[in-house]
Amino acid sequence: MKLAVVVQRYGAELNGGAEQHARYVAEHLARHAEVEVLTTCATDYITWRNELNAGVERVNGIPVRRFPVSRERNVEDFGRRSTQVFEEPHSVGAELAWLRSEGPTSPSLINHLRRHGDAYDYCIFFSYRYYHAYHGIRMAGPRAVLVPTAERDPALGLRIFGGSFRRVRALMYNSYEERALINAVSNNAAVPGVVVGIGSEVPAHPEPQRFRQTTGIEGPVLIYVGRIDENKGCRELFDYFQRYLRLSPQLTLVLIGNTVMPIPTHPRIRHLGYVTDQEKFDAMAAADLLVMPSRYESLSMVTLEAWALGRPVLANGRCDVLCGQCIRSNGGLYYESYEEFAETLHSIVSSSALRTALGANGRAYFNAHYTWPVIERKYLDMLDRLNREDAGQVTRPEPLPGWFGRRRRDLPPGRQVVDRLPTGPAPRAGCTQDAGPSASDA
Amino acid sequence: MAEFNIQSDSVDVTRIMEQIRQRIQEKRGRDYTEQQIHELATVKLERFLDPQQVRSDLVEHYRQLEAPEPLDPTPHESPGPEPERFDFNEDTIYASSRGQMGKLIRLIRKLLNPILKLFFNVNSVVFALSRQSEINTWTLQLLQQQADLAERVTTRAGAKFAAREELDALNYEVLNNLVVEMTRLSVDMKNHRSLVESVASRLDFDERRARALESVVQSRSPQPPQNADDESTSSTGSGRTRRRRRRSRRRPGETATPDSGTPTAAAAGAQGNTAQPAPDTSTSPTDMAAPDIVPRPNNAAAPASTPTVEPSAIPPETTPAPPATAPSPDPDPRTPPAVPPVANAGSPDPPPTPPTQGPSDAPAPATAPATETVARPSPPGDARADEQ
Repeated sequence: MKLAVVVQRYGAELNGGAEQHARYVAEHLARHAEVEVLTTCATDYITWRNELNAGVERVNGIPVRRFPVSRERNVEDFGRRSTQVFEEPHSVGAELAWLRSEGPTSPSLINHLRRHGDAYDYCIFFSYRYYHAYHGIRMAGPRAVLVPTAERDPALGLRIFGGSFRRVRALMYNSYEERALINAVSNNAAVPGVVVGIGSEVPAHPEPQRFRQTTGIEGPVLIYVGRIDENKGCRELFDYFQRYLRLSPQLTLVLIGNTVMPIPTHPRIRHLGYVTDQEKFDAMAAADLLVMPSRYESLSMVTLEAWALGRPVLANGRCDVLCGQCIRSNGGLYYESYEEFAETLHSIVSSSALRTALGANGRAYFNAHYTWPVIERKYLDMLDRLNREDAGQVTRPEPLPGWFGRRRRDLPPGRQVVDRLPTGPAPRAGCTQDAGPSASDA
Repeated sequence: MAEFNIQSDSVDVTRIMEQIRQRIQEKRGRDYTEQQIHELATVKLERFLDPQQVRSDLVEHYRQLEAPEPLDPTPHESPGPEPERFDFNEDTIYASSRGQMGKLIRLIRKLLNPILKLFFNVNSVVFALSRQSEINTWTLQLLQQQADLAERVTTRAGAKFAAREELDALNYEVLNNLVVEMTRLSVDMKNHRSLVESVASRLDFDERRARALESVVQSRSPQPPQNADDESTSSTGSGRTRRRRRRSRRRPGETATPDSGTPTAAAAGAQGNTAQPAPDTSTSPTDMAAPDIVPRPNNAAAPASTPTVEPSAIPPETTPAPPATAPSPDPDPRTPPAVPPVANAGSPDPPPTPPTQGPSDAPAPATAPATETVARPSPPGDARADEQ
């Protein structure tokens, strides 16, 4: 079986969630099939500037075929078009123009799929919202499998993506909340799908003492790992944490990751910057709990890694995915206000029994659903199932409207569409389906 | 922030979150959240001000009124440099500014003018542009006059607005002070009202106590008259003995003075001077509450006709001398009274201390038996009044 993993960026040093997800999946599926990665020459997800050479190279033993991006992103134009399609009634043409503006616009990648798509049994596309996925799915047709990595953001409400969700052969969801969201917005319950997520390779014996000795941090530690960004909820986290310090001044907040926003100067807030994986896992093992303040997460690998290390998680309860993961795993608490933040944080920090129990539950949840053998088996089972099914029953891609149809401004704003979608964590009954594709997944 | 009782395998995050949210709700019941505090801060003053005629939101309303911007005679945005003026006549369209070459060009244009007229009417364009130039000049003069006029008006209006602003500031200050004082007065009035209610309840209590005493006195009135003499004797002689004994009891380490007497002697004296046997207070403190013990101990040295409560509280015809009974036993101050003392029960004025007694003769616990003697014969309704 030959598989193509199609993703907007690819590289061992890239830290984007979907990109890392794609790399891990490609590397693990390579043990069971012939895998080739199709991607662009870009490394910067804001400009999509061509920084790598076009052609084929190998990354961690996986052949990677890169295609140049025809135009860099014009940030002003992208912002203007985003406002147009997210906030105002618009047309299909406006959505397509927004997609071109977003990028990475790589017609050569799409042409490759058109000419050589038959060489692959399946093309696994990552991140529904980018140019390569939308046009690539239309080219790959019945061989397209989509890992949407969808969040509750206005892009999900755009009309053009409904066809992507309905016309692929299968969808590999990251969470039950993501599946419920996509089902609601595109009415694609008939498309085979399974909640898979992503595994993580956590060292068996991290050394928390090494982290303590290196940093000199003593006492209870609350850790955040990821990009320090306002969009990730970090501003709210800083606010809540500084207020909480008046009640419990011995707690330390450790931040790991690059920052794109100012960090408050406080002796109890320690920013370690970008660290190696070993240092990261040492720090997570030394921490009492992990905090995940982001409202928009499709899975949060860091959360899974914390559970893999037996550490409880304090998540933003307004993120349906994180809230649902905490409920299903019984491995973390969640908050929606400062009062809840303070209460939940205090409960975990002050009660070693609760901390241990939550961590143990999280570890068990991770071992049951997010170890790589489980993930690989879910992918392979789905591909086998697609092999058995008749590919002919998959209809052709939905045709785009004509010249006048594309210019008819009859589409509602994307944000309005998403706001009308159901919210909240998925029902607990969904956790029984974690082990693999069930009848309801079909 | 309470702790959880965790059984390691039975953690239910949903239940824990419910507990946490319930706890937050309970806390909000006790402590106001910031949002609630803000709501309370913006609540209308009518809820606190009793005189409903006062516009409580006057200050806020006043504050919300946008003060008129002072007129600035100088324009905020400069219109930019004045465009260059030029005169337009029928030869302007053929002119050239290139010197000698310009003359040649002008000549050629003149020569070609008939051809040009084949395409459009040049004269009408020249006429229109000439008239427009005149209109522009006239408009400029008009605007100049208007600007001068506006400047004069603005200068006068600015002075008026400045004076108005000063007056508004004063008005605002006065208004603010008025509302603050009104609020303060309202709160004071509420305090005084509650104080008056408290005094009224105490007065009511005193009246009921007086009626209870009166009923006791009336029930004792048929006793033989020699008891009054005995009572006067006992209230003068044995009362002093009792107090001496009390002092000696309060100082356990102190030896008895020659005139203080021993408890035995005091008890003997009491027995010899009363018609009824006095209880042995040194051995049986519960006997202090005997219903037939009426007089207050600290009034024992007073004349026999002195009542145990304030004279004003008892009607004249119901204030006979207390019946001849044994002097009230002195309670052991270490023994807590069975009912709260009078001072604690709401009596505003404790009985006056006799001048013959030393400072230690009027301790607060000494009034406790008087309470008991009043409370015991009272009907249940009065007992409830005592509890108040």
